[in-house]
Amino acid sequence: MSTALLRARALGLAAAGRDLVRQLDWQVEPGQRWCVIGRNAAGKSTLLRALAGVGERGVAQRGELHWQHRPQRDWPATDAATLRAFMPQQVVDRFPITVARLLELSVVRARHDARAVLAGLDIDALAMRPVLELSGGERQRVALAQCALQGAPLLLLDEPVAFQDPAHQAQVARWLSNSLPSDLALVISAHDVNWIARTATHVLALLPDGSCEQGAAQAILTAGLLERVYGCRWREIGGVWIAD
Amino acid sequence: MPLSAARLAALAVVMAAALLAVVAAALAFGSAGFDIDMIRTLRAPRVAAAAGVGALLALSGLAMQSLLRNPLADPYVLGTSGGAAVGALLALMFGITITAGAAAGALAAGGLLLWLARRALATTDDASPRLILAGAMLAALTGAMASLLLALTPDQRLRGAIFWLVGDLSGAADGGASLAAAAVFAAWFVWRERALDRLLLGSVAAHLLGEPVKRLRFELLLGASLAAALAVASAGAIGFVGLVIPHALRLAGVQRTRDLALLAPLGGAALLVAADLLARTVALPIELPVGAVMALVGAPVFVWFLARGER
Repeated sequence: MSTALLRARALGLAAAGRDLVRQLDWQVEPGQRWCVIGRNAAGKSTLLRALAGVGERGVAQRGELHWQHRPQRDWPATDAATLRAFMPQQVVDRFPITVARLLELSVVRARHDARAVLAGLDIDALAMRPVLELSGGERQRVALAQCALQGAPLLLLDEPVAFQDPAHQAQVARWLSNSLPSDLALVISAHDVNWIARTATHVLALLPDGSCEQGAAQAILTAGLLERVYGCRWREIGGVWIAD
Repeated sequence: MPLSAARLAALAVVMAAALLAVVAAALAFGSAGFDIDMIRTLRAPRVAAAAGVGALLALSGLAMQSLLRNPLADPYVLGTSGGAAVGALLALMFGITITAGAAAGALAAGGLLLWLARRALATTDDASPRLILAGAMLAALTGAMASLLLALTPDQRLRGAIFWLVGDLSGAADGGASLAAAAVFAAWFVWRERALDRLLLGSVAAHLLGEPVKRLRFELLLGASLAAALAVASAGAIGFVGLVIPHALRLAGVQRTRDLALLAPLGGAALLVAADLLARTVALPIELPVGAVMALVGAPVFVWFLARGER
C-alpha cells in the first residue's frame, strides 16, 4: 500500500479561463521536500491552496486529490488539521496577541518541542512580543513555527522565505532540511533557485502552458528546464544559478 | 504589552470595586435623596437594568468584533442596535411583544450585515473597509426607517417612541433578565474561548486548525444580535459601550477572549450605571437621556485614551 501523504491524479486547476495546472499526476512521500517553481501568476499559490483544501473563488478544480488514502473532500476539518498545515503567503493580523499565545493556539497535536522550533527559527526572543509589532521577516518565521507546531505531517508552505534576509534564508533552509522529523513531507513554493537547490529533495515545475515537470532536484534543475519555466537564459557558475 | 496574570487579577479586582462603587453611588443619590423605599422600588431595578444592559452591550460588541474580525465592530455602529430599535417600534405599532420585535429586528440587521460581508470575509479574510461601509449603510438605513416610523407615530405617543432612538433607562424594568443573559453569554465565551481566539487569527486559519468556522460565526451572530436586542428592548439604542469597553481593555493589555469576556461585562455595567447616575442627577429636576450623556463624556475620554496609547 502506498505511504503517500498526498496524491494527485489528473489534477487540473483553471482560473479566469486559463489552465494553470493540467493533468498533474504526482505524489508526495514522507521525508520528501518538494519545491514548486513557476513564473509569477503561474499558479503556485493556487496549487498550494488546493493541496491545503482551502478553496478559492473563481478556481475550477478537476481530477482527484487524496490525502493519504482518503479523497481530500471526505476529510472533516478536525481530522484534516492533524494531517496538513498550510502557511499562506501573507497573514493579516488584526488583534494584538503575543507570539507565545499565537503559537499555543496553533497546536493541534503536540509533537514538537516548541522551544527547539523557536530557537531553530531564531524567534525565541520574540515570545512575549505582540504579533502586530513584528517585522515582515519575523512574522514570516513565526508563521513557519505556527505551521510546524500544528503537528501535522504534511506542511504546505507558500513562499516561506520571501521576506527573509540572506542569513535567515540560510537558517530556514537548514532548519527545514535538518531539524524536522523524517516522517514529515514539505511542499514549498519559492523563487530563489539557489535556495531551492540547497533545500529541496524534489522539484515540481509549473510551465507556462499548464503542463508540469517533476523529479529529484539534482536531476531536474537544469538550464534547459529553468529556461522553459521562466522564459529567460540561465547559467551555472561554480554551482550558483544566475538568470540573464 | 500583554498583562501578567497578577496584573490581570489586579485589574479584575479594581474593575469589580469600581462597579460596586458606582452601584452604591447610583443607589444612594438621586432626585429624592436617601430614602429606603425609593431605593428598593425605583432605584434598585433601574440600576440593575443599567448594569445588565451595559454588560450585554459590551459582550455584544466583543462578539461582533470576533465575528467580523475587526476591533472597530460594534452593534450600534453596524446597525444591529438600529435594527432592534426598528423592530421594537414596529412591535409597538402592531401590538407585538417589544422584546420579540427587537430580537427579530436585530437578527435581521445582523444577518443582513453578515450576508453583505460574506464575500469579503470569504476571500480576503480582512474585510474591514467594506464591512464598516456596509455596516454604516445599514445603520443609516435603520435610522431612516426609525425616523419614518416616528413620523407615522401619533403625537401623544411620540415622546415614548423617541426613547428607542436615543437610549433611556427611565422605563427599564427587566434588569434581572439582562443580567442573567449577560452571565450566560459570558459563560459561552469562556466555554468557546480557544475556538474564538483561533477565529481571531482569520477564518481560513481557524478552518485549517479544524474549527467549525460557519457554526462559530452563526453562534456569534445569534449571541451578538440577541444581546443587542435585549439591551435595546430595555433601554433603547445606546452606542459607545460595545465599541469602547472591549477596545479599552485591549489597549490596557487584555488579549484573551476568556479574560475579555469576564472583564468587558464588568466594565460595561460600571460605565452604564455611572452614565445613568449622571443623566439622572446632573440637571435636576430634568432627566437627560443616558445615551447622549454617555457619548458626551465617553467620546472625549476615549479619544484621550487612544492618543495616550499611541504615544
